Amino acid sequence: MLPTDYKIFRNVCPRNCYDTCGIISYVKNGELIKVEGDPKHGYTKGRLCAKGYAYTQYVYSPDRLRYPLRQYPRGSGTWERISWEQAIEIIADKILELNKRYGSNLALAHNKFSGNLGLLHYAVEGMFNSMGEHTKTIGNACLAAGFDAISYDFGDNINPDPEDMADSKLIVIWGANPAWTAIHQLSHINAAREKGAKVVVIDPLYTPTAAKADIFVQIRPSTDSLLALGIVKILMEQDKCDNDFIRDHTWGWEPFSSYVKEKISISLVREVTGITEEVIFELASLYGSTKPCANWVGFGLQRSMNGGQNTRAINALVGVTGNIGRKGGGLYYFNPTPNYFPQSLLNHPSPESRQPREVDINRFADDILSLANPPVKMLWVASRNPLSQDQNLARWQELLESLELVVTVDLFMTRTAEMSDLVLPATSTFENDDVNVGYWHYWLAINQKAIEPLYEAKSDLEIARILTRKLNELSPGFSDFPYELTDEDWISKEFTPKVLEIYGLANWEELKDGPRKCSGNKIPWEDRRFKTKTGKFELYSRDAKENELPAISTYNQPRNDIYPLRLLSPQHRNRLHSQYDFVPWLNDEHFDILKMNQKDARQRGIEEGDTVCIYNEAGLLSKKIKLSPYIPLGVVVASQGGLKPINSLMFDLPADMGMKESGSRGLAINDVYVECKKQVK
Amino acid sequence: MTIMLKQMGFIFNADLCVGCKACEIACKNENKTPAGVNWRRVSSTAEGVYLSLSCNHCDSPECFRICPQKAYSKRRDGIVFINNNRCDGCMDCVSACPYDAPQFDTITRKASKCIFCESRLLKGLDPACIVACSTGAIQMVNLNKGQSQGTVGMIDGFPDIRLTKPSIRFFPLQPRKRYWLQD
Ligand code: SF4
Ligand code: SF4
Ligand code: SF4
Repeated sequence: MLPTDYKIFRNVCPRNCYDTCGIISYVKNGELIKVEGDPKHGYTKGRLCAKGYAYTQYVYSPDRLRYPLRQYPRGSGTWERISWEQAIEIIADKILELNKRYGSNLALAHNKFSGNLGLLHYAVEGMFNSMGEHTKTIGNACLAAGFDAISYDFGDNINPDPEDMADSKLIVIWGANPAWTAIHQLSHINAAREKGAKVVVIDPLYTPTAAKADIFVQIRPSTDSLLALGIVKILMEQDKCDNDFIRDHTWGWEPFSSYVKEKISISLVREVTGITEEVIFELASLYGSTKPCANWVGFGLQRSMNGGQNTRAINALVGVTGNIGRKGGGLYYFNPTPNYFPQSLLNHPSPESRQPREVDINRFADDILSLANPPVKMLWVASRNPLSQDQNLARWQELLESLELVVTVDLFMTRTAEMSDLVLPATSTFENDDVNVGYWHYWLAINQKAIEPLYEAKSDLEIARILTRKLNELSPGFSDFPYELTDEDWISKEFTPKVLEIYGLANWEELKDGPRKCSGNKIPWEDRRFKTKTGKFELYSRDAKENELPAISTYNQPRNDIYPLRLLSPQHRNRLHSQYDFVPWLNDEHFDILKMNQKDARQRGIEEGDTVCIYNEAGLLSKKIKLSPYIPLGVVVASQGGLKPINSLMFDLPADMGMKESGSRGLAINDVYVECKKQVK
Repeated sequence: MTIMLKQMGFIFNADLCVGCKACEIACKNENKTPAGVNWRRVSSTAEGVYLSLSCNHCDSPECFRICPQKAYSKRRDGIVFINNNRCDGCMDCVSACPYDAPQFDTITRKASKCIFCESRLLKGLDPACIVACSTGAIQMVNLNKGQSQGTVGMIDGFPDIRLTKPSIRFFPLQPRKRYWLQD
């Protein structure tokens, strides 16, 4: 039914999602009654995904947290409603007491990541920075290894405009499943197909994206580097490389080409990747004959001990085929457009003499537990659900036991909230102002407050204001957070003259009329001036060597594990990590499922529908078995999120790269192995 | 029998649909159906093969024929309409329709189904499911106008069409190259 007599607002889906969709919200009598895609958003073009279309249910879910809650004892499930004043007082008292006890704020830590990527949600970081020294996280739980790989080769991370995929002749998707994680990209991919482009998907899993590809090549997990180098070898032998690009714009062709010639044999590629020689030659012939070719490196293939190497090998293939700096070609991974913005909250400085200490977000529980002088005693969790999505959950239990106060800010009673002392209800994106920039497409949009916060929910920014104000009341000068600034003040701070210029804006208010596209750098490296030290695209990286990594992309043998089944945990269509667990429209499927190949099942006496116990050194959990001949032998697959988080089986296995750009190594969660046993009732 | 000016119907392109369910949830967002009452439903008929179906606004609608309360009507534009006020919840249509189109709401104890987003059509807008689909797998056509060149009447997983003559046509799957792991 089309609503009548309603107000319209512009919102943005703030999820950690490629698409960062523009939303039009219909509000009647203060109630969000319907959402639509914003037709003025040139990338998402008036459409949302299933999760996006469920937003009215997300906002009005009966499971929304309504009031601040206190739990005693922690984990008991005995909750008591308290007022915001009480909650803020408990927190402020604790912060001040810890400061007195230890003579600094280092006993305070926070763990925040990508639950809401709006720039105003960096208020959490800004709030802690405003108190001077504290314990904060560095590193990136998502994409650190691939990020470094691209940085070594190109000197910087810049994505081509994903809308330009429509001009590709060949699109090769290495381990991404846009059908379920970036649905809008399919319209740009299909536009290319209509003009005759071919789509190739290389993936261990037969995803819905793979099922629609012209060519699907199933590959053993995390062996992509060998396949890419094998293709390069064939192209070299057939003299199909772009010799001009290689001569003028690459660094290290000599050592790279002799390495490929001597060390990479097609039979080795076949053995390791599980792909026949014929198919490797077919891929080489496509790469050798079709330009421009767009290459998309998914996040999954870099969450591995071979992850950076996988990405570097694909980079090399894209380079030697002359696909860099060409419209419709190039390497797609991640576009750091948020970095054009000052991100004033994230970067709110701590005084020079009172800098925070850093722990690795990917080894959080371990790192925090190892700290002394002072130990961490209070933890603030926001925009994250570590007890579902982090690893080393057993260590997390120990960590929780050592803490005196755990505060979680969320919209729902997540697993992390369940283990907190205080839970503070957060606003949804419809209940606060914000600015959102995509990390994939080139669009920027404003997020308007469309409805009043539900119940007593507050935004991260509002919470930062009231907490720092209280702290200063109790201890003047404790924080230098500018709590008098309004949401609009913070938004306008993001719009420096440079930002206004690249988005062609006279002022940020113009965004109320529709999203804007970034004008700069749509075809990265068109000028062939790479940002590496050599100014070239590096097939041989001295920086990598200095950081004790191979100078040339190599293939690392998988680790020998005592457990036989490799566990993969891709995103489900109805979830983003553990988000949307509380939305009935998206809960029509059973989530606690483990997919397994029939042969692996037979060996273990497991049948369809059996409940199995999955275990390894990190933990144990049970799921129901779904058999599938499409799952590679020796691989089991479970979705993220749900009641029994698959991350109970994850531990902090580092990826090969990540230090250079993110300050800590990525996670090799796709190199985790498990065993399964049928559960006897 | 009314004279049919039009026969509104759908074309579903099985080769494009990736089972993302945007259409299914967009329908719920538009029509405010509760969880479990899905006027449009996406199902998987084989690995990587999906079918997104609503009411097919059939030429010989069984629902219309069978409903003791005469809640159903066949409009001159071909849309099969249901008048909720007349429905007394007997569920005869639910069992009669071969396509699970009428959905029973256990709370209101009434059946309801897709009415082609008729209030959107009146405003010149496409149905919500069609707007939501990023692959263009669902299209709306007037089947009396012969807007269905190249389509077929049946695909795998779709129930027999002889009984009700559904107003839906299909673009079938295209053959693709698939290279499975050599174990
Ligand atoms: S989850 Fe992604 S695709 Fe879905 S509405 Fe949000 S940004 Fe768009
Ligand atoms: S929105 Fe389109 S692609 Fe997605 S399930 Fe529906 S018909 Fe298929
Ligand atoms: S699909 Fe079912 S409900 Fe719809 S017109 Fe045909 S018989 Fe009736």
